[in-house]
Amino acid sequence: MATITAGSQIGRSIPRLESRDKVTGRAEYTHHLKLPGMLYGKIFRSTMPHAKIRKVDTSAAAALPGVYRVVTIDDIRTVIPHPYYGPAFHDQPVLADGKVRFAGEPVAVVLASDPAVAEEALGLIEAEYEELPAVYDELEAASSPHLVHDELKPAATFPDLQHLKGRRGTNIALDYKMRRGNVDAAFASADHVFEHEFRTQQVMHVPMEPFVTVADVANGQATLHTASQGPSFVRIEIARLLGWPENRVRVKVPHLGGGFGGKLYIKLEALVTSLSLLVARPVKISLTMEEQFFMVTRHPCTFRIKSAVTKAGKITARKCEVWWNGGAYADIGPRVTQKAGFTSAGPYDIENVWIDSFAVYTNRPPCGALRGFGAPQTAWAYECHMDMMARELDLDPVAFRRMNMLRNGRPQAGGTVMEDADIEASMDLALERIGWNAPLERVSGNIRRGRGIAIGFKGITAPTTSVAIVNVYADGSCVLYISTVDMGQGSDTVMAQIVGEVLNLDPEKIKVIHPDTDVTPYDMGTLGSRSTYHMGTAVRLAAEDAKNKIEELARDLDMPPGSNLPVAELLRKKYGMQAGNIIGTGSFMPDYQKPDPETGQTRKATPFWGVGASSAEVEIDMETGEFKVTKLVNIADVGVPINPKLVEAQLSGAGIMQYGFTTIENMIFRDGQLTNGSLADYKIPSLLDMPKVFINEATRSNQKDGPFGAKGAGESTTIALSPAIGNAIADAIGVHIPDLPVTPEAVYRAIQSLKNAGGH
Amino acid sequence: MIGLDIHEPQSLEEAFALLGDDESTARPMGGGTALMLMMKARLFKPSALVSLAKADPRFHGIHLSSDGKAFTIGAMTTFAALEHHDAIAKHLPVITQTMVTLANPRVRNVATIGGNLAHADPHLDLPPVWLSLDSSIRTIGPAGERIVPLADFFAGYYETNLLPGELIMQVHVPVSPGWRRRYVKITTRSAHDWPAVGIALGLQMQAELCTDVRIVLSAATDRPLRLEAAESILRGQKLTPGRIADAAQATGDIHIESDSRGSADYKAHLLKVHLARALQDLSE
Amino acid sequence: MSNQRIVNFTLNGEKSTAIVRGGETLVELLQNKFDLKGARESCGQGLCGCCTVLVNGSAVAGCLMLAWFVDGADVQTIEGLANGNNLDPVQEAFIEAGAFQCGFCTSGFILMTKKLLSEHPDPSDEEIRHYLIGNLCRCSAYPEIIEAVHLAAAKMRVLARA
Ligand SMILES: Cc1cc2nc3c(=O)[nH]c(=O)nc-3n(C[C@H](O)[C@H](O)[C@H](O)COP(=O)(O)OP(=O)(O)OC[C@H]3O[C@@H](n4cnc5c(N)ncnc54)[C@H](O)[C@@H]3O)c2cc1C
Ligand code: FES
Ligand code: FES
Repeated sequence: MATITAGSQIGRSIPRLESRDKVTGRAEYTHHLKLPGMLYGKIFRSTMPHAKIRKVDTSAAAALPGVYRVVTIDDIRTVIPHPYYGPAFHDQPVLADGKVRFAGEPVAVVLASDPAVAEEALGLIEAEYEELPAVYDELEAASSPHLVHDELKPAATFPDLQHLKGRRGTNIALDYKMRRGNVDAAFASADHVFEHEFRTQQVMHVPMEPFVTVADVANGQATLHTASQGPSFVRIEIARLLGWPENRVRVKVPHLGGGFGGKLYIKLEALVTSLSLLVARPVKISLTMEEQFFMVTRHPCTFRIKSAVTKAGKITARKCEVWWNGGAYADIGPRVTQKAGFTSAGPYDIENVWIDSFAVYTNRPPCGALRGFGAPQTAWAYECHMDMMARELDLDPVAFRRMNMLRNGRPQAGGTVMEDADIEASMDLALERIGWNAPLERVSGNIRRGRGIAIGFKGITAPTTSVAIVNVYADGSCVLYISTVDMGQGSDTVMAQIVGEVLNLDPEKIKVIHPDTDVTPYDMGTLGSRSTYHMGTAVRLAAEDAKNKIEELARDLDMPPGSNLPVAELLRKKYGMQAGNIIGTGSFMPDYQKPDPETGQTRKATPFWGVGASSAEVEIDMETGEFKVTKLVNIADVGVPINPKLVEAQLSGAGIMQYGFTTIENMIFRDGQLTNGSLADYKIPSLLDMPKVFINEATRSNQKDGPFGAKGAGESTTIALSPAIGNAIADAIGVHIPDLPVTPEAVYRAIQSLKNAGGH
Repeated sequence: MIGLDIHEPQSLEEAFALLGDDESTARPMGGGTALMLMMKARLFKPSALVSLAKADPRFHGIHLSSDGKAFTIGAMTTFAALEHHDAIAKHLPVITQTMVTLANPRVRNVATIGGNLAHADPHLDLPPVWLSLDSSIRTIGPAGERIVPLADFFAGYYETNLLPGELIMQVHVPVSPGWRRRYVKITTRSAHDWPAVGIALGLQMQAELCTDVRIVLSAATDRPLRLEAAESILRGQKLTPGRIADAAQATGDIHIESDSRGSADYKAHLLKVHLARALQDLSE
Repeated sequence: MSNQRIVNFTLNGEKSTAIVRGGETLVELLQNKFDLKGARESCGQGLCGCCTVLVNGSAVAGCLMLAWFVDGADVQTIEGLANGNNLDPVQEAFIEAGAFQCGFCTSGFILMTKKLLSEHPDPSDEEIRHYLIGNLCRCSAYPEIIEAVHLAAAKMRVLARA
């Protein structure tokens, strides 16, 4: 073994630890799991977007040979008196309870040993509904008398939502406010005032491993094997649902076939656990790709943004009104509403800021966390808005941004002082890589070309905790126990690098134990770019703790300082044979101060800032609106990259995903019914869709309090990408498109409207 | 899926017997790709699938007639076989060209040209190309054989004029030297989407003059459609930009449906622009 | 009976037998009766390639192929690609290029790359993009996948020369 020297593990692009398993087809996913005596569940879903359930006739299905049982909410209630769940609100019934709130909602489950039989039986269930008036649009729903829920039911886990408890007569689940300075006065005295409205569409995560959970509840113990990004949360929520202590619930996550925020908090687990409890056998439910569209999606959003600007181009006030279409169940939507609301004025230094951000219930499939946690939707608005104002004011969009940019040392609108956020450097690199100042052949034949730039930032969910355990065996080999879920982002590898760095070990020889809540300690969840920073710090602390204990052991054994005897020999000396362990633990929760509920002001809102800048070059066919993104650049500030290759993969993967949300993906509804809920009709980017020139890079920076200077990287390139493309298109055709996705038809219509208005 | 019977009849008589009468929900099967999709989506549930793989040798093979004037292609020919066939590449390069953007290599390895025609989904790429090549179909059924010009074959969305129990046995494709051909697949979302508009074009030029022309539209209408009004504007004429524009304009009264790939208006517009461009290109 | 049959086929070089039902797909057969996990269903519609299997040397979508028809066929899955502990050059290339994240799509990409390189030993980017159009990777490891295909092609050329 080569000697490992300090500092040598940071910045090393080692391949993923689990590489061989993944290329040989041997990697374990919940998808494959089978337990003896297991029943398969298939879900019968609502065909109505909003209706009272008059009757569910399951008799014919139950009579089909091979069907074990057909289950409705009435059956569930015999074992769980209050079968409602959810991370922010306990608003979601395990199966529809008296009414359905979106087309696609689970109403009944058929259980059978043979999934094909269960599937067949679905066709024999009949439900009768009494249709209710439905609301689909976030603005309409906000003031509609037609209510999705009669009463708000915030979960106890989020103390800051308790004031909403019992609120009735509204579809607004949460209103977040931020107030700074006096916007009205600033608008009244402004040289210029601009107001624009932007909309984004509903999209879905599309993990390639569809949602799947196996639950085995028997003899007072519940064991779940689940495709989840948050095993610790699942344990807590299942324990609450069952009324059991946490130590009787065990949650295991093997490899995860993609998550992107969708598999957070609690999803299928509530239903599958209830079923297993009811029938006292292991139960598995695997969704199909089509069913995933009914599990969780990304919020559509309407954003009204208004800015006051001086003649010279200084922004003096900004008012943001953001409406989040949360669908039928809140999921983590209220948090998206707060967190993305918090940064919705953009990375600008503005004296007077007013933000209202609303979570709204509608009769659509539920919306939750998706890579970026709302930041991409808000950046679409504030960054297009920036270019639209620059155009009106005849200002250079880059200079305009520079003039107003939020810089380190200055307070963000919510009062938290910006630190270690390399916004300007990121923008500069994005400009350089796209060749911003290089000549561009703007016109050739029917083709117009344009360039666009955008920047963005996000706060990180807070306060959250991570705990890690490092275990050094008697032979000196090492195991790391963490509940961070490696879903491809490479957390196992990066965490092993951190341990290797502290303990001078080869990270490729360190074993990382996959989440198993009986074994691996608490972690809030693999979400929001938090793992490298939070878990990375906990892991560093655990490794340092182990290191201290090794040094202590050496002292106890009267080793002269600096003798550097290997652990194995120390342990052998102590126990007289190959025996014992060294256990190091670490736990980390960053500093946080709860914002004032009325003004949103706080000293410390976020442990660090996610920062991204993107630039794009486009080519538009002026006759048809068809366009190509010929060059796309994504820059992020990730602090010090621990594994540069994995970081680059995160930046580019997030970029391509967001590229899909910008130009291709859209869940289309007609009367509340999803019309394109399969990959045949809901397209995601393929190899052919990727821009030909596609550059992803991290700036050189340092997150001072991050592990070895690192911070999260999984979302930063989702933020500014859409507006960079939107701004490039506007640069080419002379007009902005306010709604996502930007389709060829939308571009064509924009060109036409400009022509009709007598533009060029 | 439970309760699905599968048969591999060794003769046509056996196949006809298994397929049964009008009432039967047994279905003939080529590659099964479209059938599987429909069964999985629970759009329909056949009682049995009757594979045509072994029923009759005439369903197989790609043959160029000895005078070199026509191809006879068995209905069970896979797309991959067509894609990699040298004589097809030489005499009908438009077919080879169409294959590159049709589905993906795995589907092309399995899906058959007979299943593709009988499926009659207007978004399919090959039917408009066959139509632009003046192809016809040889069918066989309990009542005997028929030759059906492709122009008379499609009856609407997922509907054909096949008689009950009748099978597509072969496709006849004339080889017409001197024609310039192209298939234009226009997608509006991802590159691997179904076309929003498909245009199959054939142009016969003598010097400056367009002596004959075929224009077939697909995807935007309920079946592949010859655009005869546009053709007649071009036939026997010099293809000046003005004339090409007139031909493109002559597509104006075609009934097009809106869907997730674009509004009716927009698809009509795409058709005009891309038709004109392809004509211009081909005529040069 | 025509809704159930015995199929005899070769699976990764081994003679195999199974009873299959009319509606059973190849990917179900491999998972349920042979505990092979590499081919897996995701889209279920022939679009994503996660279920790729080689049947008589041709790549097919295991989610659309009925298991019934593998009787007499030679079936190969990702599990049969490595030679004991020696990875295939395509597998090595995927590791070296980091051409996956979650890995759910990876078996399909690797098998398709195998086929691609047998048809085009030195493919251009364009050929790669077109050949792999039916393989979707939501983690979007696409740039690394293109790199891996080139790397695998180079490795195989070296092997061919040796
Ligand atoms: C992932 C995917 C992507 C695709 N992309 C494209 C694309 O880009 N472009 C495109 O054009 N197509 C595309 N297709 C569709 C594909 O072309 C069809 O699925 C295929 O052509 C059907 O052929 P098959 O042999 O599998 O038909 P089958 O499924 O066997 O049969 C289809 C229908 O035809 C009937 N039938 C079959 N053979 C005969 C016969 N000889 N006589 C009478 N009736 C018969 C069957 O009963 C059934 O009703 C795609 C399909 C998939 C799965
Ligand atoms: S699962 Fe078969 S192609 Fe997607
Ligand atoms: S690696 Fe996750 S889908 Fe491809």
